[in-house]
Amino acid sequence: MTLENDRMNITLNNIMPTPLASIQHSDKSIWGNFISLEPGEKIMLNASSGKGKSTFTLTTVGMRKDYTGTITYDGQDIQQFSPDDWTKIRQEKISVVFQDLQLFPKLTVKENLLLKNALTDTYSEMELIQFLEELEIDNKWNQLGGLLSMGQQQRVAIIRALCQPFNWLIMDEPFSHLDVVNTQKCLNLIDKRATELGAGFVLTSLGDDHNFKYSRELNL
Amino acid sequence: MLRTLLFQNQDKKQLVIAIIGAFLGITFLVTSIHYLIRVNEFGKGAEILGPNTIIVQKRVNNSAVLGLSKTDFTLAEIEKIKAEPFIQDVKPVISNNFDVSFETNDPLVPRFRSDVFIQTVDPDFIDVKSDNWTWKEGDTLVPIIMPRDFLVMLNTFMSASGIPQVSDDVAKDINFRFTISNDNGKEWIDAKIIGFTNEVASILVPEKFMEYGNQKYALKTDQKITQIMISGKESEFGLVEELIETRGLESKNSQMVVGRLKSIVGTLILVILGVSVIAVLVAGLVLIQYLQLLMTRNDYEVRTLLRIGYHPTIIIKQFFLYFMKIFGIVASLGLGMFFLFKLFLDKLLEEGGLMIDTSISLYAIGALILAYTIFALTSYRTAKNGIYKEY
Repeated sequence: MTLENDRMNITLNNIMPTPLASIQHSDKSIWGNFISLEPGEKIMLNASSGKGKSTFTLTTVGMRKDYTGTITYDGQDIQQFSPDDWTKIRQEKISVVFQDLQLFPKLTVKENLLLKNALTDTYSEMELIQFLEELEIDNKWNQLGGLLSMGQQQRVAIIRALCQPFNWLIMDEPFSHLDVVNTQKCLNLIDKRATELGAGFVLTSLGDDHNFKYSRELNL
Repeated sequence: MLRTLLFQNQDKKQLVIAIIGAFLGITFLVTSIHYLIRVNEFGKGAEILGPNTIIVQKRVNNSAVLGLSKTDFTLAEIEKIKAEPFIQDVKPVISNNFDVSFETNDPLVPRFRSDVFIQTVDPDFIDVKSDNWTWKEGDTLVPIIMPRDFLVMLNTFMSASGIPQVSDDVAKDINFRFTISNDNGKEWIDAKIIGFTNEVASILVPEKFMEYGNQKYALKTDQKITQIMISGKESEFGLVEELIETRGLESKNSQMVVGRLKSIVGTLILVILGVSVIAVLVAGLVLIQYLQLLMTRNDYEVRTLLRIGYHPTIIIKQFFLYFMKIFGIVASLGLGMFFLFKLFLDKLLEEGGLMIDTSISLYAIGALILAYTIFALTSYRTAKNGIYKEY
């Protein structure tokens, strides 16, 4: 694999996840069509429940392989990537906020963040605390992840996803448990970081655009 | 942090049970291999004959005295004994069929002369370097192995003559001389002692020397084989004893005792070794299963670590090193317990008259290293398979 380009392009060519093959999809749906995610684009993926938002997230980042069609990063079929390639991609190219967050409940917020940050040493402990302060959860630094509310966990998961360099940030309903104020704070933080890096992001949503001006909107 | 994450979901009770099982297995494995080696070595080097070798002759009974039965062995009888599965080898003990006398030939030792009986055996049965145990026509010196009783007799003679007695080493420096002859001729050949034996009553000479004497100075009587050497297989001495009994043979009791003792102890240790190997395998299996269980319990943690960018080898290393540490502790404890057992068992065997070599057998340490290596490879493979399946 040679993904040396700092502005990585992602394409989905005629992708059809096996569990969704029996459902009728619209002409505008990304399923069964050709979609190219251009570097630096800030995209909202809008769909109602059950249309495959999480499937899109996991498939696009190579965590699910039950689909037909081809997904490429800079023209390279992701099915050909080795564990070494995926490690490099997940450390430097693509970051993810999972719908189920995937924090470690028995580790503290500090440990959850440092465990990720240690891979690329992107931020200092002080900077991580500042992120928590911005999102008003700095008092949870030493609290176990499993004891946080869902909203607090979502904010920790977003900060964790920012603890690395990336070309793309894929987020699966990252604000579903946040109020408007905290959603705006999170979105500002994400946008600022993505802009700094010249990176793009895809944010899946149930329809709410969170008052953000996206590059474009995709549908399922 | 990674260790905290991966080893927080442990069932310590199951781990302790697996460790105890592995500890006991390793202890018995090392102990049994050590004693199996040492007991098998017992007797080697102390005697000229191998520890599984005995010299037998036919029992002289009344019918033999009356000439109704023979006391010599036919070639067919020798071949029949040789065909037994527990017999490693059988060779005749060849005796002199010519006149031999033996005398001291050293200015430092008083003259001593006697007619003697000499014998030869196959060099494979003799525990001396083959270079020292050779003679060819033209050689002026015959290497000989003396019955230890001869040294006792020589020392008695020396003492009576007012001369200091001699040790084994000094006796090996004394010059002796054979006179071999028949009615037609006579010859003198120098001789040197190269070793002593308790098992043979005659002077042992190299085969070629015996052939030379028997050809050149043969008497008119036929040569008969009255003794044979039997070499039994390791730990099957009981069957050799049975054969001796059923065929009406006899041997020096001391030769039988060592073989019998070794056979019994060797068989017992073999049984313990078998049980130990099974115990180590079962314990190893339990530990590997524990590793699999631990990985299953950490399925979420492993998958999430991979998803946030951890390389599989980092995670494999965590599991691998953890289990290496556990087995290292098990191996150290097992080795420690072996040393304690050894202190006790060495004393017990010594009191029982089995003076085995007390140094640590390298085979036992080798077995421990082998067990550790097998476990290391298995645990690495298990961890690798478990983690790479996430891709």
